[in-house]
Parts: sequence; C-alpha cells; structure tokens
Amino acid sequence: MEKTDKPRGDYLDVLLNKMKSAAAPFRDVLRDLHTKYQTLNEGNVATYIPELAKANPDWFGLSVVTADGQVFDIGDAQQTFTIQSVSKPFVFGLALEEHGREKVLTKVGVEPTGEAFNSILLDEASNRPFNPMVNAGAIATADLINGKDFPERLERLLRMFGKYCGRDVFIDNGVFLSERATGHRNRAMGHLMLNFGMVSNRVEETLELYFQQCSILVNSHDLAVMGATLANGGINPITHERAIPSAFVKDLLASMLSCGMYDYAGEWAYRVGIPAKSGVAGGLVGVIPGQMGVGVFSPRLDAKGNTVRGIKVFQELSERFGLHVFESGFQGESLRQLLQPKRSDESHG
Amino acid sequence: MPRTISIHSFRGGTGKSNTSANLAVLLAREGMRVGVVDADIQSPGIHVIFSHKQVSGARTLNDFLWGRCNITDAAYDVSEKALAGAGNEKSKLFLIPSSIDSQDIARILHEGYDVTLLNEGFKQLIRDLQLDCLFIDTHPGVNEETLLSIAISDLLLLLLRPDNQDFQGTAVTVELARRLNVPMLALVNKIPPGMDRQRLKEHVEATYKVKVGAMLPLNAEIVQVASGDLFVNQYPEHPFTRELKLAAKRLMA
Repeated sequence: MEKTDKPRGDYLDVLLNKMKSAAAPFRDVLRDLHTKYQTLNEGNVATYIPELAKANPDWFGLSVVTADGQVFDIGDAQQTFTIQSVSKPFVFGLALEEHGREKVLTKVGVEPTGEAFNSILLDEASNRPFNPMVNAGAIATADLINGKDFPERLERLLRMFGKYCGRDVFIDNGVFLSERATGHRNRAMGHLMLNFGMVSNRVEETLELYFQQCSILVNSHDLAVMGATLANGGINPITHERAIPSAFVKDLLASMLSCGMYDYAGEWAYRVGIPAKSGVAGGLVGVIPGQMGVGVFSPRLDAKGNTVRGIKVFQELSERFGLHVFESGFQGESLRQLLQPKRSDESHG
Repeated sequence: MPRTISIHSFRGGTGKSNTSANLAVLLAREGMRVGVVDADIQSPGIHVIFSHKQVSGARTLNDFLWGRCNITDAAYDVSEKALAGAGNEKSKLFLIPSSIDSQDIARILHEGYDVTLLNEGFKQLIRDLQLDCLFIDTHPGVNEETLLSIAISDLLLLLLRPDNQDFQGTAVTVELARRLNVPMLALVNKIPPGMDRQRLKEHVEATYKVKVGAMLPLNAEIVQVASGDLFVNQYPEHPFTRELKLAAKRLMA
C-alpha cells in the first residue's frame, strides 16, 4: 500500500481516541461480555478443511471500532485466523465498484436461499446464484474482479482488503493449499456456472482467486475496523482512507442483513437485526451504521457454521443497546454515553 | 466535588508534585479519604515529599502495571506523618508510588504497558480504599499515561508559572483536555514578588478560557524545605499555604 502523510490533525485524533476508548465505560461492557462467554463451550471447530481443525477452540477475541475511530480490543484480539466467508460482502463491493449495480446483478442475485452455504443451487429462471454470500455467488462475484492476469486480480483484491484493514494483508498458504486440495464442491459449482454462462471461461483462475480470498489472515481487530469502515460510509475511521464508494455501502449491508449468516440469516435479521457476516474459521463482523463495527473471533461453530460465542455477543449487544436496524424509540441504555469517559462531577470548567 | 483530579504542567519545575502533595494533605485534613498516585512513571518523586522510603521488594505502581500485584498492594497509608495530628477520625491519606529503581524505569520505557490497566487501577483504588478523592500526579509534557489520566479525570488542575514557555506549553494541554471534554482549573505558581497578580490572573483566564483557582507566590521557604517535607505543615500561616487552602476550598465547594 502507498504510504502517505496523514492530514494534519489525524495523529492527534488517533492519540485522543486511544485515550477516550481506554477511559470509556463501554470497555467494561465488552470485558464483561467477554468474561461471560469465555466459558461457553458449545459448538465445534470446523473440520471440513483440515487446516481449520488446528484452531484452539478456546480462542476468543472481541473488538469494537467506532465510526469516529475509538478502538476496543478484548481477549485474543490479535490472534489471526483466515477470513473465509467474511470476505464475501467485501468482494461483492469491489465487483459493484468495478462494474456497477446492474451488471453485477445479472451475474448474482440478492435473494436469501435458506439453504446451507455450500448448496449447489442456482435460480432456475436466470441461472444466477441466489446471492453473493453463498459459495456459488461468491465465486461468481470473484469472477467479476478485473485484471489482465491472475497476479493483477489478486493484487486488486488484496489492496481492497488492505484499505478496509488499514494495513497490508497476507494469505495463509497452508489454508489456501488445503482449501484448493479439498474444494471439489466449489470447483463443481464453478464449472456448473460456466456451463450456464454465469462465469467467464477463466473459471479455474477465478477459483484460485476465491480460495486465496478465503485464506486472507485477519484478527478480530481487523474485522472491527472493516465493519467500522462500512459504518463510516466506506471510509476507514483509523486511516481515513476510502475503501469503497459510499453509494455501495448499503448494497453490502442489505445483503449482509438478509444473507450474511448462512441459513440462520432470517432468524438473525429477526432477533439481532445487525448487518453481519460470519466465516467458518470463527470470524464474525457486524456493522451498526453510523456508530461502529464489531468483530468477534471464536472458532466454536454451531451446526449452521456460525460462531456460537459471536452470536451470543451480538444478541446481547443488540438487545441491551437497541441496535436492531428497525429499532425506534429505544428507551434503554445509551451507547453514546458509554463511549464518553464517566465523570463524577461536571460543575468545573 | 470532583473525585479524580489530575495535576499536569506542560513543562517540568513548576512545583507540580509539591502542589499536589500539599493540596492532598489539605483535603485529607478536612476529613476526606484521599489517594495520591505518582503517575509520573518516568521520573517519579512525590514519595519524597511524603517522606516515604522505597524499600527493596515493596510494591509500587510498576508492579501493578506488570501484573505482579493488586494496585491496593502498592498503596501506603501515609496519614500519620502527612497529617501530623491535624484532621479528624475520617482523614486518610494514601500514597501509590512509582518505582525509583532505574531498572524498573528502563523497563517501562522499553516495554511500555497497557494504558487501559492504569484506568482499571485508578477505579480499583477509588472503590477498594473508599476514596473521596484521587490525585494523579502526571509526567510533564504529553505522553500516554498523562493523556489517559487527563481523559478519565473529573477535573484537570493545570499548573503553570508566569513564564512564556509555560504559557505556550499550557496551551497544548488545554487543547487536549478540551478535546477530551475534561473540565479544568488553573493554578499559577512561583509568582515573583512585585508582579501585578490581578493582571496576571486575568491574562491566564483570558488566554485559556479557564478559571484560576490559586495564585501561589514564589517563596524562599519552599526552597529550604527542598521537597523534604510538607510545606503546609511547616508553614501553616505562609501566604502560599493560605492561597492553597483557598484552592482546596474551591475544590470542595
């Protein structure tokens, strides 16, 4: 990534935000949540990709980054893992940026399936995969990434993730090779879509790109920054760099809300109501527009492939602070107040 | 009254530690439970004013930051000596010193520490020692523990001398504190004899848009005490003591 001098004032913002978040009572809320669910041992580490089975089931990172750049990292927030399906909405965003909404929608729909993430299912009328969050749709989306050859396409993809994370991102080669060696079903879907003309004839290259995309290493802190970037209209609140045109942010959030949690998406939208995307390595990113991004990492998954602790954390945050997108007239605790240092006396000054 | 009070001066030598210690004593005399944290980890010193001897192995703020002990293990009851018979049955004064061991100072500089832990520590002190007031003596200039201390404070006491370098530097602290929404009160120290105090006060208040809580005179006696004792105990009727008492009253108001 290009390194440029930050605009005047940014260094001060970063420093002051660090202090604000160190002092904010919200840190205690997150620490309590982390402590509460650290002992929840339901669910199992994914095993369908051999490399994923090596994860420590006890890992638990919880991060929040606000749209104005406060950072909260609790627990194993620096532990890296592969991004997996959490990458999907972001690649969808890049495809939208490169081709525009109408073109992209001819290749992939925005309809929830109610089916598992790896279902081999295309819309009978249009032959499109149902949405960009199932594997078929993600492969069709990855196929849209421009570039004259594979290295250039990969470079575009990594640069885009770098802008969201605010740092250079790297790929876990072990997971990539493992994905590639065992990805028969994904390969089958790619070729089925080639048969229907939904992907280009560089499908093998696109599959490589897709396996690489899934193998990008992130931690819960990165997920929170990525979420905060979407919460902040597409501008990374730490680096102030734009990662996606603001016009497409709602496209991502809408598909995350309706399709982001595999075949739990409907119940998620009903109960939690936060645009979110999970991955089988145990990552989960959520976006509270205008307010914050939340990143959770815990590799214990439920039967639908979502992180068990992650779901609990989001449920509790949503209920306690009224974060459901359709919440109106919420009377409970104000998140904004908890983000300010608590003072016992305001009479001086 | 404000529960957590940070004392900061942008430059060294303003008399920050002396003023903090003596102000803390004056508040404790009024029947308060007061804590004084030496958050000047890089150049600690306030323990000297309380005649507190750092013996080898005794806990300090550093031990807490390295996870070796609870912060209350590093709190020393210095009431007897500091109050010297003044105060009432409720009066208490606790000192939380930073380590004066060069290895410890070097380690903090080299490794840093988790600033959020410092905030935890301050909260624990207030809770576990049931403090009415916690004074945080900060490092001059701007660094992380200083900024954190300011961020979590109910009140920031700005200490400055009538000197142009202090004036410019204080403007930096004022800007930071404003951005952190922390209320401020200025204490002007080491005012030379013959200076127009009223004009100086108006000038400070107009420059920073901050009220002045005390105008403390430069005095020879405090130099003689040489940070070896508490000035307000030795010189109870001195103009410095009287002015500081006004500041203490203002804090309690």
